Amino acid sequence: MSKFIKEFTKGLWKDLPPFRLVLGLCPTLAVTKTADNGLGMGLAVIFVLTLSNFMVSLVRTSIPAKVRIACFIVIAASLVVAVELLMQAYAYPLYTQLGIFVPLIVVNCIILGRAEAFASKNPIHLAVADGLGMGIGFTLSLTFLGALRELLGSGTLFGAQITAEWFKPFGFMVEAPGAFVGLGLVLGGMNYFTNWQRRKQGKAAIDGPTHDCKTCGMCQGLGGK
Amino acid sequence: MREILKMVCILSLICGLSGLTLSFLKEVTTERIEEQKLVFVQGPALAQVFDKADNDPVKDRKKFTLPSGEDVVVFPAMEQGKLTGVAIETFGRGYGGDLGIMVGLDLVNDKLAGIGTTTLKETPGIGSKVAKHGFTAQFKGHALDGLALTSTGGDIEAVSGASVSSGAAMEAIGKALTIYESLKDQFATTWPSS
Amino acid sequence: MEYFLLIIAAIFVNNIVLAQYLGNCPFIGTSKETSVAIGMGGAVVFVATLATAITWAIQKFLLAPYDLGYLQTIVFILVIAALVQFVEMFLKKVIPPLFESLGIFLALITTNCAILGIAIIVQREEFGFVKSVVYAVASGIGFGLALLLLSGIREKLDTVRIPQSLRGTPIALIMAGLMSLAFFAFKGMI
Repeated sequence: MSKFIKEFTKGLWKDLPPFRLVLGLCPTLAVTKTADNGLGMGLAVIFVLTLSNFMVSLVRTSIPAKVRIACFIVIAASLVVAVELLMQAYAYPLYTQLGIFVPLIVVNCIILGRAEAFASKNPIHLAVADGLGMGIGFTLSLTFLGALRELLGSGTLFGAQITAEWFKPFGFMVEAPGAFVGLGLVLGGMNYFTNWQRRKQGKAAIDGPTHDCKTCGMCQGLGGK
Repeated sequence: MREILKMVCILSLICGLSGLTLSFLKEVTTERIEEQKLVFVQGPALAQVFDKADNDPVKDRKKFTLPSGEDVVVFPAMEQGKLTGVAIETFGRGYGGDLGIMVGLDLVNDKLAGIGTTTLKETPGIGSKVAKHGFTAQFKGHALDGLALTSTGGDIEAVSGASVSSGAAMEAIGKALTIYESLKDQFATTWPSS
Repeated sequence: MEYFLLIIAAIFVNNIVLAQYLGNCPFIGTSKETSVAIGMGGAVVFVATLATAITWAIQKFLLAPYDLGYLQTIVFILVIAALVQFVEMFLKKVIPPLFESLGIFLALITTNCAILGIAIIVQREEFGFVKSVVYAVASGIGFGLALLLLSGIREKLDTVRIPQSLRGTPIALIMAGLMSLAFFAFKGMI
């Protein structure tokens, strides 16, 4: 049980997907114009990630190593199509808002990355815990960034006007440049916090997270090397 | 060899299972998705055309078959249980693809009730102005004849710099009128007054 | 003229990375060195063009006639994954020098959302075949251009003192933001 909790909570802070592992940048930047959209995208990712982790873990022993990536892609893509259909049926405005980024969940590094790096090596209950934790962490991050950009960029939060009359929103924040700069500053802020903690514990400060192809966990997997 | 066979088997098994599940899910959701599309795409255009209607035109819609064999969906507008107008969605070939227009017809006065756009891919700021009030307002209460751009002898002012988009809107309205003429007699029996 | 506008729009005005938010993982991940950026840019142009051409044909002749549009995502991603494997094998056998320079990037391309993104965008915009392929080439070039510019900036950044917390990805993102702001100026062009 304690292991279950450990795998669940790591996605909430220690390995927070977009801010710590720097995974899934495209949706993080694209759909965080408003807090609503960030939350909606996050929920879709929780659904896909948890179920894909569950299924990958379920079939992990019966899949030949050579075709495992292909199987993971089929599983993830099927779940994404399911999300597309359900979202059109029950949340059509959200579906049109997120647009092309709904089908693109399938190439979100988090999904295949977790399938390859975690779910294919661990029993079902841990895989589900990992998926749920990572998914919720992703959702919270997206909602946070969305709220930040919405607040500064249009002066609202979840669509409700909350800023004072004199506040003139920076249109910059809801456009593409604001997405990049906003995410960069949030990452920098998190690092500053980590380094502040480390200094208190007497450890040396570290550089910010770096993002390279290893983060996706797909380098070896896809190339078959 | 046996390994390859196993790989192929497992891959096709997974693909088959996912295909089966998805086609089932598709069956279940198709109807709802169509309904949702109507509410969120055609709904706002309908509300713009019939601002006084007290029914839900999307819910009361009916399918008709044209003499040419094509099916067309007609949206009725009612006021206090009495049918006052119908709307038909038609398409014209615009600059950026099909331009969808919801054409509303006033049955009481035999006039146009107004138009609203449904699908719009015209150039932002130029062709997209066909969705703006300045262009659409010209159709509110317009008689059914003489519907043409000023350049072809009518009295509708085209959006300046966007003759293709304006032409597409006129094309769509023309189609809607043809449909209206051929179905006119069936409306009263389809939605009887209550 | 129509194609000229399409190309300019895809490279500058609606740059695939800086305005449409696609392909950000490799954009940040492979922009540390100029040589790597050139390789990745080339690989993206190559695969995006092939993938768009093939998926366009599949949509037109397989998915649309049999009313299977809802399977678009799953079919496209499988086609792209298979295509990348195939291109890798083909280049290794037939054009080894090209494989030497593009090989390692090909492995990363399946999960590059720019590729799948371009394939889906041309479907949603209902482009014809030639227009789709031209759009794919131009978008790929736009991706390569943005990547090359960012890698140039980041190479310079290596020699500068930056606040420690911002080193690595955070400063790269902020630089990308400034580039995006610069590209924003192209909006008025068309």
